[in-house]
Amino acid sequence: MPFETPQNGEYLVAAYVITAVILVGYCVALWRRAKKSVSGNRKA
Amino acid sequence: MTAASDQAAGVVRRGLVLSAIGLLGLAGVYLLALGYTPVEARQGLAQKIFYLHVPAAWAALLSFSLVGIASALYLWLKDDRLDRFAAASAEVGVAFSAVMLTTGPIWAKPIWGTWWTWDARLTLTLFVFFLFIGYLGLRAAVHDPAERARFSAVVGILGMLLVPFIHLSVYLFRTLHPQPIVLKPSEPSLPPEMLTTLLVSTLVFTVLYLGFVTTRYGLALADEAREEARYAV
Repeated sequence: MPFETPQNGEYLVAAYVITAVILVGYCVALWRRAKKSVSGNRKA
Repeated sequence: MTAASDQAAGVVRRGLVLSAIGLLGLAGVYLLALGYTPVEARQGLAQKIFYLHVPAAWAALLSFSLVGIASALYLWLKDDRLDRFAAASAEVGVAFSAVMLTTGPIWAKPIWGTWWTWDARLTLTLFVFFLFIGYLGLRAAVHDPAERARFSAVVGILGMLLVPFIHLSVYLFRTLHPQPIVLKPSEPSLPPEMLTTLLVSTLVFTVLYLGFVTTRYGLALADEAREEARYAV
């Protein structure tokens, strides 16, 4: 039986955006912690 | 600044550079997945979630396995570097698990017709995610460094023991989750464009893992250097 390829691009967009948000967000969080940590060590 | 804090700053810097390279690689994976790989006829565009979901699962399970190995070695050798590495790897593993546990249901909905099913692989993956959140909570709650390292090493080893069950769960139990198509005894069953993109993505997620863990390890070193400097005054 012939079948049509489903139109479900919105799920792809959601997954790709969420992955970028989590990974870039975690990297930014590490960078901010690093900035704070370096300034803390300078004070110490 | 002391020599120890200089060393920590160097490790953090190397980690951040590696993480930035990993994020650039991730942008490359997006381009490859969207522009180079064909659209799967039966699943449509949603199948391309595969290029993020599988490497995220790889990175998460790699992280948790290395937590267990480092923890076991810590209990044997009592080397603080192993405890520091285990803590870094656990935190990074939780971040990759978050990717795995969000992209999985988003892919499942259009293909299985449901966001979630309590089958063995999904349930075990969720448990291991909660277990390592507990691991991080335990580390935050115990203040004595030696006790914290010993208690969390035991939890880390128990978490690692779940990893082989997650991999083998699709063989051991009836499940909706597909069986492995690359890590299996026979040859990978994927067209070359899909296999290449998957392997590139896996490499990029491994680079991200190394970058994040190095940064997180350096931050722990910096915290310790600050504590030492405070007690030295």
